[in-house]
Amino acid sequence: MRKLTSAGLAALIAFGATSQTVAAKDLVIGFSADAATLDPANHRDTNTETIIREMYDGILTRDPAMHVVPQLAESYKQISPTVYEFKIRKGVKFHDGSTMTAEDVKFTLDRIWEKGGLGDGQTSPRQSLLGPIKSVDVVNGDTLRVTLSAPWSLLPAMLPFQEVVSKAFVGKVGTAGMATQEDGTGPFQLVQWNKGDSVVMKRFDDYWGGKACVDRVIFKTIPESSSRVAALLAGDAQIIDHLPPYAVSQVNASGNAKAVFVNGTRSYFIAMNLTEKPFTDIRVREAIAHAIDKPLVINKILGGHAVAINGILSPDAFGKNKALKGLAYDPALSRKLLKEAGYPNGIKVTMDVTGPDKDTAEAVASLMAKGGITTKVQVGESAMLGSKWRTMGKPKTGDMYFTSWGNGSLDPQGIFMPTHHTDGRGNSSGYSNPKVDKLLDGAAVEVDRAKRAAMYEQAEAIAAKDVAYIYLWVPQDIYGVSKRLSGWQPSPDGRLNLVKACLK
Amino acid sequence: MSLTKLVERLVQLVPVLLGVSVIVFLMMAMTPGDPVQIMIGDQNVSAAQEAQLRHDLGLDRPAYERLALFIGHAATGNFGESFYYKRPVAQVIAERLPATIELSVVALLIALMTAIPLGVLAAVKKNSVLDKLATVGSLLGVSLPGFWFGILLLMLFAVQLHILPVSGRMGFATSIKPITGFLLIDTLLRGDPAAFLDALKHILLPAITLGLPMTAVLMRVTRTSMLEVLRQDYITFAEAKGLSRTRILIRHALKNALIPTVSVAAIETGSLLGGNMIVETVFGWPGLGRLVVDSIFVRDYPLVQAAVLLYAVTYVLLNFVADILYTFLNPRVKL
Amino acid sequence: MSDAAVTRPTPSQSLLLRNLAVFAENRLAAGSAILVLIFVALALFAPLIAPQDPNATDLFRRLQPPAWQAGGDWAHVLGCDALGRDILSRIIYGSRVSMLVGATVVFIATSIGILAGLAAGYLGGWVDTIISRTVDILLGFPYLIFAIGLMAMMGAGLGNIILALVYKEWVIPCRVVRAETLATREQEYVEAARALGASNRHIMLREILPNILSPVIVVSTIRMANVIILEASLSFLGLGVQPPTASWGAMVADGRAFIMQAWWVSTFPGLAILLLVLALNVASQGLRDAFDPRFHE
Repeated sequence: MRKLTSAGLAALIAFGATSQTVAAKDLVIGFSADAATLDPANHRDTNTETIIREMYDGILTRDPAMHVVPQLAESYKQISPTVYEFKIRKGVKFHDGSTMTAEDVKFTLDRIWEKGGLGDGQTSPRQSLLGPIKSVDVVNGDTLRVTLSAPWSLLPAMLPFQEVVSKAFVGKVGTAGMATQEDGTGPFQLVQWNKGDSVVMKRFDDYWGGKACVDRVIFKTIPESSSRVAALLAGDAQIIDHLPPYAVSQVNASGNAKAVFVNGTRSYFIAMNLTEKPFTDIRVREAIAHAIDKPLVINKILGGHAVAINGILSPDAFGKNKALKGLAYDPALSRKLLKEAGYPNGIKVTMDVTGPDKDTAEAVASLMAKGGITTKVQVGESAMLGSKWRTMGKPKTGDMYFTSWGNGSLDPQGIFMPTHHTDGRGNSSGYSNPKVDKLLDGAAVEVDRAKRAAMYEQAEAIAAKDVAYIYLWVPQDIYGVSKRLSGWQPSPDGRLNLVKACLK
Repeated sequence: MSLTKLVERLVQLVPVLLGVSVIVFLMMAMTPGDPVQIMIGDQNVSAAQEAQLRHDLGLDRPAYERLALFIGHAATGNFGESFYYKRPVAQVIAERLPATIELSVVALLIALMTAIPLGVLAAVKKNSVLDKLATVGSLLGVSLPGFWFGILLLMLFAVQLHILPVSGRMGFATSIKPITGFLLIDTLLRGDPAAFLDALKHILLPAITLGLPMTAVLMRVTRTSMLEVLRQDYITFAEAKGLSRTRILIRHALKNALIPTVSVAAIETGSLLGGNMIVETVFGWPGLGRLVVDSIFVRDYPLVQAAVLLYAVTYVLLNFVADILYTFLNPRVKL
Repeated sequence: MSDAAVTRPTPSQSLLLRNLAVFAENRLAAGSAILVLIFVALALFAPLIAPQDPNATDLFRRLQPPAWQAGGDWAHVLGCDALGRDILSRIIYGSRVSMLVGATVVFIATSIGILAGLAAGYLGGWVDTIISRTVDILLGFPYLIFAIGLMAMMGAGLGNIILALVYKEWVIPCRVVRAETLATREQEYVEAARALGASNRHIMLREILPNILSPVIVVSTIRMANVIILEASLSFLGLGVQPPTASWGAMVADGRAFIMQAWWVSTFPGLAILLLVLALNVASQGLRDAFDPRFHE
């Protein structure tokens, strides 16, 4: 037995000695989630989209400054409030060698917007991302015309969310085949998908935009943040996503990796049940806002990697009201306001939150307690809290909800409309102001950019004055990157865009 | 055991599986939270489009109709399509199953290979230091919370000593075209010893964590039954005949002492399955346990229902196997 | 009811004392029992013992190391968690959840198990069929998945954890009781009671139960250790008690993210689980050896 143990130990040490040699040109991404499917039209998942996007291109995309720019379209223009025209790029090759045409682009869009377009009687779960499309037509070879049934200024901003597929390939493998195979036009093509573990891609040498720098890209699924950090520090991964703020200094001190930051697109805020006492009283809402020391929470819990907001929009968003003043931290004023509102002994409330935000919510709750708002944090699953708070106008139960709304497009409509319009899907507060509704409805169809921006600025000012929500912050997205990596920057929309990334 | 008895026992499994199906269906149906809401996420979707999504998932039908459909389909081996993965549930489960089986088998092997020798030694050298150590060890083994022990192992071997990997099933650059889906076998079949070693390094810590409580239990069982056997007349007789001690131990005692160990091992393999999700979560192991937990959280009804049913079938069959093994190895027992 | 007619083997006073003496002689087991009692005391008198308010957050003490490390101080001996809460105090208060869940679940499950097992074993027939089938079905579920599903259904919270665990836990004492009852029901004294016209209820509760109680209690004490680990596992997966209530499993889970920056956050609560469960296991093994001669080696 003793022999056996020492043999085991020897074997263990031998394992350590035989380190795996990673090929120099393999770019490994330590990614927090695996793809759900590889079919660009059959999911509703950001992580899946990020992975798919390395193999597929969109009709349009975003540049590093988040402006919408053509990708597989050479150019596009708006002909009328309801008609857009796209000139499709020539000579773009799919991974199987065939050439992409305007017909493929039409097919891609039809597959998403048409009822039952996915095949097998199914409708794409991404349909709602495309707005009121009436028809998509190919006019004279390489020009594509998209006709809307009503004006919808968001179309260009939403097109980067869709990837172009090959009509012939879909015909060949069917919707079932699309889930695990790909034939995109992107800079990388699929080698193997080890479900739950990794997606392995290799460079596509005929990429229309010039071939990528690295030989292979491997998305390695590592759900645990501490494991991702360990993989980065050990040199096993060259990029990791969702680097936790508290690990930033450790990564920077390691010598072989560093943390990089980019402003995120997710706004955090606290919803209050505006139809119930005590939140019907604006003084109570103001008291809550005054009780929260945003800079303290940002510095201590988020490591300083977040920007405080005083309205729903991210500072980078179009139409952001830069002049907006917040309600400053002042717990004494909170107590005074509560007293004026008829609560001399303060109030007792419950705040719902999902597991990942529990720490932050508890920190906020302990601050609120000092302002006279005794807050019990209640953790629930997102599946449950979604139904509880996102009632689209139906009555709610509950006091407060610590939540967030992501807005990858950075267009105000993607976040302002759902969270502030009467009966909006994300209107967890149950906020309703006809003036705001009118501004939002108008801005949605307004073609003049300056006028549209002004409308959003005005709406944001009204909502802030009403204290529709307690607006908190927009956290930065933090990535850990190896010092071997060059030519890569994080993007606010969470896309990785690895085509220009190189490894030393 | 006669053939009719065997068939009878198998037939008895049917109501059990039916009961499991109904309970898991009801549980998911009664759970608040809406798969459609989760799919929509942070998007402004109209009520009509939401209704469309609900219809596409078949969630607009009444619950009893969905239950009947589920059971009817399950009986023919059709488990529908996963809400989240958008692929047939059977396919998604089949992709994850080899990882879980591989982990469980390695854990089982580790348990058997440590527990049997230790148990025998502890029995033979009863009340020695080794026996006491083994007793303490087995008590520790059943008392260590797996999720915490796993983290400690990770800290030591992966983060501090850097001799074993942190997470996952294979190295970052390793990629093996699957044949059986079991990496330890596929790497050998493909003739890639480096990849085999890589896979082995990855499976070691999770398998130890998973196998530890089982090791502890099996060791106790082996020790106890060995002690019992050693007291038997035929052992004393063999000793009197002057046979060597080792020969007696191996030829006579061990063979009989292992009967309870083997059948307990079969039953414990069932609880091994139940412990999988914790270990898979801690070690980022892409297996079925993690899949089920994640699927409960996103309300992927078809996937959860099918996976739980699979667990139940396996568990029930393992118990059945344990019974048969016990009867087979020990002719004195008649079922 | 004339008990004198048949000699019923009642556990005599002297036997109980003798068994207790055997148990006390087992120093390891006795020591463990004392350790369990210490944990009980911690749980009962937590407000008197804990040096700090377990829920008082102080963001300036975020992830403060234990006293003996640089940056630590003796007011927070085991350091602080991510919200600057005192870990030692949270461990002390956390013992309440573990103890309460462990004891309540085992008590309720054993009570249900005894009643169901007696009914199944003694009455037989369709009662037995229904109970045994239910037991078989529940055994088909992996314990943790069943509990996770129930917690998702009912939501987090102390009462729900207890319920979620009881739903499956009762099956274990039930099987033991049923088997013991089957073995007991043809015994002379039971036959005699039946001949004297005693009601089923009387026979089950007054004649059979006292004689099968000791193996059931032994099983229950062993199960308590398991239930405590299960509660910790559920809390670890985020399906436990509501914050800010301290629970050891949740504390380990919270600390896991910081394991490379602040090892103490999850190490100490894990150690607490290990100690309590180990003590329970050793003590219950001692109990088993002392009270149930069948287990003697």
